Amino acid sequence: MTLAEMKEGERARIVRVGGEEAVKRHLGALGFVAGTMVRVVGESYGNQILAVHESRIAVNDATARDIEVDKV
Amino acid sequence: MEKSVKIALAGNPNSGKTTLFNALTGSEQYVGNWPGVTVEKKDGILVGHKEVVIQDLPGIYSLSPYSLEEKVSRRFLVEEGPDAILNIVDGTNIERNLFFSTQLAELGLPMVMAVNMMDVVKKNGDKIDFDRIAKALRCEVVGISALKNEGGREAAEKAVEMAKKTVVEKGPGKLPDVPHVFSGSVEHAIAHIEESIQGKVPARSIRWYAIKIFERDRDIIKKLGIGVGEMKHLEEHIRDCEKELGDDAESIITNQRYDFIKRLMDKSLALNEKRKGKPTMSDRIDKVVTHRILALPIFILSLCVMWFLAVAEKGPGTILTDWANDGFLGDGWHLPFSTHECREEGKYKGMEFEDAQGVFARNDASKTAWEEAYLEKLNEGKADAEKVEEMPEEIDEKVAAGVVAKGVFVEDEETGEPLAKECDCENCAKKRESGEECEGCGCGCGEPDIWDVDFAAYKAAKEFEEPDPKQFGVWVPGVGALITEGLEKAGVGDTVKSLVVDGAWGGVATVLGFVPVIFIVFLFLAFLEDCGYMARVAFIMDRLLRRFGLSGKSFIPMLVGKGCGVPAVMAARAIENERARRMTVILATFVPCGAKTVIIAMFAALFFREQWYVAAMMDVVGIAIIILGGIALKKTRFFAGEASSFVLELPAYHMPTVSGVWHHTWNRLKGYILKAGLVIFPACVFLWFVMHFDWSLNLLADEEIEKSILHDFGTWIAWVFKPLGFGSWQGAAASVSAEIAKEQATATLKLVTVGMEGASSGAHIQNFFASISEFPKLAALSFMMFNLFVPPCMVAIAVTFREMGSQKWGWLAIGFQLFVGYALALCVYQFGVLFAGGGFGVCTVMAALVFLVCLWAVVRPARKAAVKT
Repeated sequence: MTLAEMKEGERARIVRVGGEEAVKRHLGALGFVAGTMVRVVGESYGNQILAVHESRIAVNDATARDIEVDKV
Repeated sequence: MEKSVKIALAGNPNSGKTTLFNALTGSEQYVGNWPGVTVEKKDGILVGHKEVVIQDLPGIYSLSPYSLEEKVSRRFLVEEGPDAILNIVDGTNIERNLFFSTQLAELGLPMVMAVNMMDVVKKNGDKIDFDRIAKALRCEVVGISALKNEGGREAAEKAVEMAKKTVVEKGPGKLPDVPHVFSGSVEHAIAHIEESIQGKVPARSIRWYAIKIFERDRDIIKKLGIGVGEMKHLEEHIRDCEKELGDDAESIITNQRYDFIKRLMDKSLALNEKRKGKPTMSDRIDKVVTHRILALPIFILSLCVMWFLAVAEKGPGTILTDWANDGFLGDGWHLPFSTHECREEGKYKGMEFEDAQGVFARNDASKTAWEEAYLEKLNEGKADAEKVEEMPEEIDEKVAAGVVAKGVFVEDEETGEPLAKECDCENCAKKRESGEECEGCGCGCGEPDIWDVDFAAYKAAKEFEEPDPKQFGVWVPGVGALITEGLEKAGVGDTVKSLVVDGAWGGVATVLGFVPVIFIVFLFLAFLEDCGYMARVAFIMDRLLRRFGLSGKSFIPMLVGKGCGVPAVMAARAIENERARRMTVILATFVPCGAKTVIIAMFAALFFREQWYVAAMMDVVGIAIIILGGIALKKTRFFAGEASSFVLELPAYHMPTVSGVWHHTWNRLKGYILKAGLVIFPACVFLWFVMHFDWSLNLLADEEIEKSILHDFGTWIAWVFKPLGFGSWQGAAASVSAEIAKEQATATLKLVTVGMEGASSGAHIQNFFASISEFPKLAALSFMMFNLFVPPCMVAIAVTFREMGSQKWGWLAIGFQLFVGYALALCVYQFGVLFAGGGFGVCTVMAALVFLVCLWAVVRPARKAAVKT
C-alpha cells in the first residue's frame, strides 16, 4: 500500500520511495528511506503530517502516493 | 597580520544555526523558524577574535542540490573550502541531523559538531554518547544550547583551534581521516572511482567527489570533465553494486548512510522510554491549527489581527502613522501623557491644545462668514468690474453695522455636516465622560451648533489667532520643521529651500511615513514565522494554491507583500519548485503594499465617500488577480506542467525570542528604509527638477508648472492613457512618477493639478478628473486601479529582474504586470462608461477585445507538456 492510504494515528514501515528524482533525493535526506518507521500524526484534505525520526514533515497526496509502505 | 581563519556554520534548517551565529558574532542576522530563511551566506567576525570569520550558510538537509539554498551552500563548501566546519546538530532529532553530518565529514575538512538544544535533551531524559559519535565521524563533538547561550563559544573556539592545527600538522598532500560508512561492495566501487579521479580534485575531498560520481551527480561529472569512455568504465562498478543490492546507486548511498547512523545511534543514543510515541505539545497544537474545519478560520482570524494592528482606523498602526507623518517627520508633536495647557498669556491661557483649536475653529468660521457677508453687502448693485474682491483694510462702520452672517457652523472634517454643540454644564460633562449621548438636560447639547455673527461678534472673533502648538505642554519639533527652520536660519534662497523641503525631504518623508505600518506587518509576520505557525500556513494553503500553479509556500511572500513588495519578492526564494517560485515573484506584488494604501486612502476620501467598500475591494481585486493570473499563467508554455510534490518540515512550536523577532523584522524593514535613502532621495530630486524647470532651465513658480519639462513629457505620452479615461499630461505625469515609488502618485497629482479650480488640493484633484472625463468617478477609479496593479515601484522591479534570473524572464514578469494593470483600468473605465450611458466607441471595442483575450487565457484548456527552462 502507499502512504496516502494510511489514516491518522497509523504506523508503517517504508518499503520504497518512488517519484521524481529530485523529490526522492530530498525525501531521502529528510529520512524517508526503506526500513524507516513513519506515523501519520495529522491529515487535512489528503495532505498529511508525518512523524519521521523526531521531526514532523508535511507532504501532499501526490507525494504520499509515491511512498510505498507496510502497515504495522 | 595573522592570516584570517574561515569557519563555516552548517546544519539543518531549524537547528538553531542562526541563533548561534548571532551569539558568536553579535551581528544583526535573520533568524527564522521557517525552513530555509537564510538564503545567502552571511559573514560575521567572531567576538574577541578579529582574525576569525564565521560564515553562516543556509540551513540545508543534504549536499545534493535540491533547492536554491542547497545549491548555494554546496557550492560554497566544496569550491571555496572554509578552514573548518562548525556543524550544528539538533540534539532532539539527532538521527536525521546526522545524515547531513556524514556528508560534511566526507569533505575532509576539520569539523566540530555542536549538538544543540542540550537543555531540552536533558529535560527529556535522553542521553547521547558524544565520544562514540566523535570516533565514528572523525570529528570533535560538544554539547551546546544556543538559545541559552551555553557552549557555543567553546565550540567555535575549538573549531578555530582545529583549523590552525591542521595547517601546521598536515602539509598539503596528507590525506585526512574520513569515515567509511558503506558496505563492502560500495566501498570497493568508491575506491575505484577515487583512483580514477586522483589529481583532478582536491586531495582532502576526494572521497566526497567519488561518492557523488557513484551517485551519478550530473553537475559533478560535468565539472570534473569525466569523458564518456572513462565513465563507462566506472559505470561497470556502479552497476555491479546496483545489481547486487537491487536498488539504484543514489538510494543505496542514502539507505546505507541511514543504516550507518542507525547502528551508531543504537549504541550512542538512549531515549527516555516513557516519552516514546506520546504526542508532543506541537502535535496537540497542530490538531487544532491544521484541523479540517478550524484551520482556515484560525488563519483568517490571525490575518484580521494583523489587519487591525496595521491599518484599521484608530488601531495602533494608524495612530503611529499619524504621529510619524504629522509629528515626527512633519511640524512636531506634543509629548504624550503630559498636560498640554497653554503657558503663555493670552486668549488660550490654561486651555488644552485641542480645546484651543476648537475655540479657534469656531471664531475663524465666524470671521470668514462675516467677511463674506460684508463683501457681498459692499458689492451690492455694483457692476462686475467695480466689485471688491478682497477684504479692505478699513471697514466701513456704517455698512458693517447692518451686516449679519447667518447660519455659521464649523464643518465636521469627515462628513461636512455642522459639528454638534457641547455645553459645559455638569450634567452633560458627566454623560460625555461615561460615553453616553448627551441630551435631555435642555441646554441644547448634541444639536447642530449653528449661530449668527454680527459686527460686534466679528470684532471679537478677529482677536483670536491660530493657537501656536509650541505654547502648549511639551512640544517636540518635527524633522520637517527643523529642516525648514535650519534653512531659514542659514539664509538660503527659495530655490534651494524648495529643492530640499519639497523635493528631497518631501519624498523621503512620505516613504518614511509608512515605516510604522510596514513595521507592524513585518513584526507580526516575524512572530508567526518564528513561533512555527507560518510553516503550518503553507501546509494549510497548499491544496488551494496548487490549483493556481502556486505552492503553499507562496503565501508567505504574499503576506509580506502587504507591507512592502521588495522583501516579498525575495521571500519567494524559499520555494524550491522553479515554476511556482517564478509565478510567486510575478504575482506577489499584486497585493496592495503599504505605499499603495496611500493612493487608495486618498481616492477613497475624495471620490468614494459613499462607496466605503471601494477601498476594501482593492485587496479583493489584488487576490482575484493572483488567482486568475495564476490560472492563466499556468496554462502558458512558460509555466505548464504539474507542480506535484509538496514536502515541508514543520518545526516544533516554540515561543519566539524578542531578539529573534526583532532581528527578523529589522532585516526586512532595513531594506525598505534604505530604499528611501538610496533610491527615493535622488529620484525625488530629479522629479522636483523636471517639475520646477523648463527646457531652458529657468526656475518656475508652482503655478507655472505648465511650462515645465514634466508637462511636456506628460503631454507626449498622454495618448497612452486616453482609453483609460485620464489621458492628460497630469494623469500621465502622476502615473510615471508613481513608478519611482507608488505613494508619489498622490504627491505628484497634488502638484500637477495646482492650476485647477477649488480651495484645497483635494478639490483641485476632483476638478481635474471632472475636467478630463464626463465620468470623473470612473476616471478616478481607473487611475487608481492602473497605479495599483501595474508593475510596482522601480526598486521592486529591479528585485523582480534579479529574482527571475534572466532578462527574458524579467521582461516576461514586468510585461505581464503592465498588461494586467492596463487591461484592468481599460475594462473598468470603458465598461463603466458604457453602463453609465456614455455611449459606444472604438475604445469600447478595444476593451471588449482585451476582456475576451483575458477570459480566453483563463478558461482555455491547459497544455500538457512542460517546456524545459
